Amino acid sequence: MAMMIPYGQRVTPDDRTTATRGLMRPRPSGRALRVTLAGLLAVWFALPLVPLLLWSVANRWSFPAVLPTEWGLDGLATALAQGGLPVFGRSFLLGLAVAAIATPLGALAARALTMGRVPAARLVSAILLAPLALPAFVAVMGLTIVLLRAQVPAPAAVLLLLVAAALPYTVYTMRVAYAAHDLAYEDEARTLGASPAHVLWRVHLPLVAPGLARAAFLAFLVGWSDYVVTVLVGGGTLVTLPLLVGSYAAGVGNDAVVAVLSLTAIVPPLLLLLALGRFGRRYPTARFAGPTASRSPKGSP
Amino acid sequence: MSATLTLDALTKTFDGAAHPAVDAVSFTVAAGECLAILGPSGSGKSTVLRSIAGLDVPSSGRILVDGTEVAGLAPERRGMAMVFQRPLLFPHLSVLDNVAFAGTVAGQPRREARADAAQFLDLVQLGGFGSRAVTALSGGQEQRVALARALAARPRVLLLDEPFSALDPALRTDMHELLAQIRAQLNPTVVMVTHDRDEAAVVADTVALLTAGRLLQHDSVPRLYSRPASLAVSRLMGGRNEVEGTVSEGVHYSALGAIAAPEGEQWPDGVGVLVVRQEALRLGEPLPGEAGVRGVVAASALRGPRAHVVVDVNGAALECETAAISAPEVGTEVTVSIPLAGCAVLAA
Repeated sequence: MAMMIPYGQRVTPDDRTTATRGLMRPRPSGRALRVTLAGLLAVWFALPLVPLLLWSVANRWSFPAVLPTEWGLDGLATALAQGGLPVFGRSFLLGLAVAAIATPLGALAARALTMGRVPAARLVSAILLAPLALPAFVAVMGLTIVLLRAQVPAPAAVLLLLVAAALPYTVYTMRVAYAAHDLAYEDEARTLGASPAHVLWRVHLPLVAPGLARAAFLAFLVGWSDYVVTVLVGGGTLVTLPLLVGSYAAGVGNDAVVAVLSLTAIVPPLLLLLALGRFGRRYPTARFAGPTASRSPKGSP
Repeated sequence: MSATLTLDALTKTFDGAAHPAVDAVSFTVAAGECLAILGPSGSGKSTVLRSIAGLDVPSSGRILVDGTEVAGLAPERRGMAMVFQRPLLFPHLSVLDNVAFAGTVAGQPRREARADAAQFLDLVQLGGFGSRAVTALSGGQEQRVALARALAARPRVLLLDEPFSALDPALRTDMHELLAQIRAQLNPTVVMVTHDRDEAAVVADTVALLTAGRLLQHDSVPRLYSRPASLAVSRLMGGRNEVEGTVSEGVHYSALGAIAAPEGEQWPDGVGVLVVRQEALRLGEPLPGEAGVRGVVAASALRGPRAHVVVDVNGAALECETAAISAPEVGTEVTVSIPLAGCAVLAA
């Protein structure tokens, strides 16, 4: 492929070069493909929800029928009768507790690692990420015995292990946040008279808030959706939503209850995700777009 | 608002560094004065500023504000606001709340702090921009807000770390004018770091020239140009003319002939290098107070509206800055007039 152009020779775009500019525009066929793919993906995500939605309002749905054969709210009634609400609350609290502990811990670890204040930083980050690589089963089986012998109450033991399981997510998310964080803002605030506490509350936390929200969301999910740790370590003393779903799904003829409980399990993460999309932005967008509102990207961290 | 700042043998060696980044730097800035710390990249000038602000801890030496040592005081208790090269406006706050930041953290009620901030926005000619998001500002506006935010902190010493070097020349000139207005109105003590000689000359009363962590000369701008303390200073200030010779009874003898010391000044006898600014030289017959030397134009280079003309005088090269339009051609015989008041003799 001789692409050499002798020095001194003028390079004039001709039909060959100008013709390729068409590649810069999305072609109609490419666009159709993208829309089709996006549509298929949406269907793939939404399809499993359709039978769930139908089952949640079906009292009876025999095999060959396309739609439920008897509509009703028996599933919801059973779920409520079996303590669905307290179970929901317990799961929610567990998720919140995991997020409340794992997020600040992850942020502290990530900040120390990003600032290079940690000796053997690679080893430390490998250990922090280890729970991702280790099958939860293996870790939990060993730790159960340790925690039982140490007489740690089951709910506390579950919380402890779930925090460890959530740490890789919070550490990783916060490392990304701190990599984009500029310490010069904190220096500037100090010279303007802000004490370390003021710097933390008025500058540092607001600047990393979107990262904290993302980390907390992931940690919440770890607590909210856990099954293995709660079963093995809790030993049935701590009944959460996944446990209730599991026990009903193991039986026969409980499809309506399982559907109601499963749908309930989707709601809090979905709401949190929407809130994250709404409030988790890095900067407020310009409220006044006037002729002077142009801004070059230089200098923006 | 303004205070006297004194540095006494300030030294800073970073961990693991062989040489100190700042080596026994001493100077005094009077209340209301503007000092420019001028130096090339890596000369330690920003480290001096960060030490004054308390962001870096000096290895030794003292920093005194109005005669009181500030070592051990946290940055927020020193009363020194800093403006960096980047505006560093807090992106989660509006323009007004950025300027009101110092008041807010000092415990001022929000309403008062905002009213106060609005005055400083007016001062930097951005009145009415308070409710904007900081992302809706141009580069020059951002730096104005940063300046207003620092001034609103009522600093005893205002520290500027290359605050205008990211701006284009026209904006930079605007900012220099703004700084002059602010100095006239509020009279703050200012320490500004810059690598730009022209900026230092325009903005500052005195200049501290720093290189490799050492203070070479702290003087007024005209003296730094016409009476450099050493050849290193002359070169860092952009001086191009160095003519070796010997001094005898106050007269310098060299290829240029005999050049007498300016009135009231003494040049020590012995070997010495005569320096004179290229801007001070003039092509044409000498006037009273000038010495004329004949030479041949050896080279001429255009620099926009100016021309750098190199004249060979008996083997010594004299560079002379002149208007491009009147620059003589190479090979022309010319007379160079040397103002005696602009000459200095330095140790080789």
